[in-house]
Amino acid sequence: MKFLPYILRNVQRNKLRSVFTGLSIAVSLFLVTVLYAYVNMQDEMGEGALKYARVVCTAKQGLTFPVPIAHVDKVKGMEGVKTVVPLAWFGGKYKDDKIPFAQFATDPDHCFEVFAEFTVPPDQLSNFQKDRTGCIVGEKIARKRQWKVGDKIVLKGDIYPVNLELTIDGIYTGPAGSDLEMLFYDYTYLDELLKQSRSQMAGNAGTMFIKAQTPEMMPDLMQRINARFANSEAPVRAMTEQAFRQMFTEMLGNIRVFIRNIAIIVVAALVCVAGNAMAMSLRERTREVAVLKAIGFSRFIVLTLVLIEAIVIAVIGGFLGVMAARLLFQFTDMSMIGIPGFSSFYVPVSTMLFSMLLAAAIGLASGIIPAWRAAQVSVVDGLRKVV
Amino acid sequence: MPAGSERAVVELRGVSKEYMRDKIRVPVLSNTNLDIPHGDFVAVMGPSGSGKSTLLNLAAGLDRPTTGTVTVAGTELNQLSESKLTRWRSQHLGFIFQLYNLMPVLTAFENVELPLLLTSLSRRQRAEHVETALRIVGLQERMDHFPRQLSGGQEQRVAIARALVNDPVLLLADEPTGNLDAAAAQEIMDLLQQLNEEFEKTIVMVTHDPRAARRARRMLHLEKGTFVETELDALEAAG
Amino acid sequence: MIPLKYNIRSLRTRWVSSLMTIIGTALVVWAVVLTFGLADGLDHTLEVSGEPLDLIVMRKGATAETNSIINESTAREMAALDGIASDAAGNKLCSPELVVVVNTARRAGDTNANMILRGVTPAAKEVRSNFHIVAGRENKPGVREAIASTQMANRFKGAGLDEELDVFGAPFKIVGLFEAGHSATESEVWTDLEVLGQTTKREGVRSAIQLRANSADDAQRMADRISSDEQFGLSALSEPVYFAEQAKSSRGIKAIGVFIAVILSIGAVFAVANTMYAAVASRAREIGTLRALGFNRRTILISFLLESLALCLAGGLLGCLAALPLNGMSTGTANWVTFSELAFTFRFGPTVQILAVSLVVVVGVIGGLFPALRATRMKIVDALREV
Repeated sequence: MKFLPYILRNVQRNKLRSVFTGLSIAVSLFLVTVLYAYVNMQDEMGEGALKYARVVCTAKQGLTFPVPIAHVDKVKGMEGVKTVVPLAWFGGKYKDDKIPFAQFATDPDHCFEVFAEFTVPPDQLSNFQKDRTGCIVGEKIARKRQWKVGDKIVLKGDIYPVNLELTIDGIYTGPAGSDLEMLFYDYTYLDELLKQSRSQMAGNAGTMFIKAQTPEMMPDLMQRINARFANSEAPVRAMTEQAFRQMFTEMLGNIRVFIRNIAIIVVAALVCVAGNAMAMSLRERTREVAVLKAIGFSRFIVLTLVLIEAIVIAVIGGFLGVMAARLLFQFTDMSMIGIPGFSSFYVPVSTMLFSMLLAAAIGLASGIIPAWRAAQVSVVDGLRKVV
Repeated sequence: MPAGSERAVVELRGVSKEYMRDKIRVPVLSNTNLDIPHGDFVAVMGPSGSGKSTLLNLAAGLDRPTTGTVTVAGTELNQLSESKLTRWRSQHLGFIFQLYNLMPVLTAFENVELPLLLTSLSRRQRAEHVETALRIVGLQERMDHFPRQLSGGQEQRVAIARALVNDPVLLLADEPTGNLDAAAAQEIMDLLQQLNEEFEKTIVMVTHDPRAARRARRMLHLEKGTFVETELDALEAAG
Repeated sequence: MIPLKYNIRSLRTRWVSSLMTIIGTALVVWAVVLTFGLADGLDHTLEVSGEPLDLIVMRKGATAETNSIINESTAREMAALDGIASDAAGNKLCSPELVVVVNTARRAGDTNANMILRGVTPAAKEVRSNFHIVAGRENKPGVREAIASTQMANRFKGAGLDEELDVFGAPFKIVGLFEAGHSATESEVWTDLEVLGQTTKREGVRSAIQLRANSADDAQRMADRISSDEQFGLSALSEPVYFAEQAKSSRGIKAIGVFIAVILSIGAVFAVANTMYAAVASRAREIGTLRALGFNRRTILISFLLESLALCLAGGLLGCLAALPLNGMSTGTANWVTFSELAFTFRFGPTVQILAVSLVVVVGVIGGLFPALRATRMKIVDALREV
């Protein structure tokens, strides 16, 4: 493109204006990127969970209803099941926490087979499996709360009428983007306490996390599990881990519609803002456009030059915003906001590409009217015009 | 020099002015002395870059001399702070520009009223002053028109009304006929002459136009920053 | 002072630019007002839900009715406490209630949410001010009939008048619709206490008991009495305290609202600054003339700031007006304390309006400040020479 140097010169002509337009687009697309990242990240994590071949079972009536612990052994014997563990949300309060972090009662012998993406040092794992009141915590939460192996912590029951006194036996790590803020402890310890206090909540597995032998076996397995318990005292609903995660996002309300609406508003506003800046630039350049046409530039070239100028500014701005979003969340801890799903926030590449496309579209849309008007400038009037 | 006993309205003493252009000192006025007495009408002529506009800007307090003193109506402008100078200008000076410099979004009336907004006059008093000024320039019929609805000569007359409305001691005109055709220029010069003779306004006018200059009481020629004075019999020129 | 009409008419002269800026600002204000309208509506709902003389009795340690279990005999003892108010007919205002969370399909979209189904006795209506049937009739005891709030009727499949709501396989006919002064009660469907117990195999189980005290003193005394009795194992909270805890649910929305508001305002500041810089640049000669006429720097500064403010206020007004049609529109989000959907309406109360106005004022002042400063810094001599 031999005109590029001229276009870039034009972009720099009123530096302040180009910078402001670019920054306006940058911050606004930063917002859009972050909002869309939330949705896309959920999808991506859901899809990523597919390769772990996990099926989640809740009570058919929903999460607040019990799944009998006896179900776990019944599922274990089914065809296509590699391993299965109970996973019960405890939701206890640690010290002055307002919002509980994730604490799960599970089966120490098999839980790291189900959650195979996490790794625990072998000695710590075997300690955990021997220690009835032991627990294993995620690397991130351990760092944040300055816990080390051997520390004792007390979790006050909220949903459950008992308190847990746990010893940290180990710390698990995992790949980037995985949830490193959970705590796992022995289900038998919780059940024992509940039986002691004669609570009706004893014997409830909460949910079952099932590792299938292969991802392909999951649809059939889910059907068989549902059928297996359909006529029992406690029917269950089996779903993929992806569907299980989706359920939580949906609880917030119609997040997708909300985010799309905000994005539409932002894009519309930016088209106005950037279009205005282009129009102002060209009004100051009317005489120059007339000169271009006088020396033989066609309408089409004038139009294209202006459009590309608008796109260049928008894309540079968009790039800044998108990169800022990407880098910011790589180095910030989002768990303090306290909304489920925010604890390991990142900006997926697909979101970045989407935002860049949006930026280009904003540039194009903002350039259309100014470009068309520039193409219409009459040589005679333009040359005479004094602003 | 006419009307000698009173102190001059404009007094320049040993005034020099230099500009810095790309680290090079460009002298514009050098060691200039000038007295313009009350009631005078001076036309300043000279080629481009001779320092005409600088002289006008110094007299208006829009610019400060490198050395020397500028005294206008008894006030030494160097002594005034920026904000005092602004205030002083609004009370003592009237400006007439080549491009009229009317606010395009304000009507003729509102344009003329503008300087009065800086005074404590009431709304009605302001209206009286504005109407008087517009009557003097012969545009009382056009006071609700916007600048773009007026001819160039009419615009300049509105600008003159604006310069007059606060009853200044000194009128400064920068090429007042520079953008006008011959007929309109004649009218503007008639008006300025009338202001000088009838209302005893002291006028300093920078111009390129010898015909306009001849309407003044005297002409000053500036060349490379120094005066070449030429006395003129204003009446003779008019005839 | 430079008359304001000078600014207004100048804005009108550059009307395309002004309009674009106004629309841009309006869109930003709109997005912000909508988001805060959500948070305000949510807060309002929880605020009007708490009645100062009412106590909620739950299992000790439980923070929500959904986590609480009380047996029937303990519940009966509550009714015998001193200090409970009576209605006109002499019935004690003591309402034993069973809360069941039912995962139900939303009408909009393909999603499910947790809906609260509350089993009640006639006393329940008496301890909730503003409760009234708006369509149909009250449900009869002993049969599978239910009444739904108008909001729930609109939001959930099967909750509309004459529809049948599926409660774990058992159909409940909706015979009436109620309203309750926009309180959290409007996020519920009600049925008979005993019928719900039978349907969900929870006969004799109560989730919570609501009491109305004779006076504030009685309320305090009863609360102390209930909470201190080890045998009960219960705690009593005043309703305002209980709902204040749930108001945490709006924290997420508020955080997102602040995030959106801050980011978009920064974008708007750049846009306004661009417009005002262009205004100052194109009016250099006018500014020089004004200064020559004796208007001082401060007057010029104020004049351009006012112009910028006028621009932003117009945008703010437009944005607020555009939001008004959504006032009262129903929506919902997860109540993380009860783990169920909380329905509420958009609300653009004084808080939101003040916020919107302060937002545009801040944007107008910051966006206009630097251009206005540039206007004041112009050298008169140079400005007069500008074409």
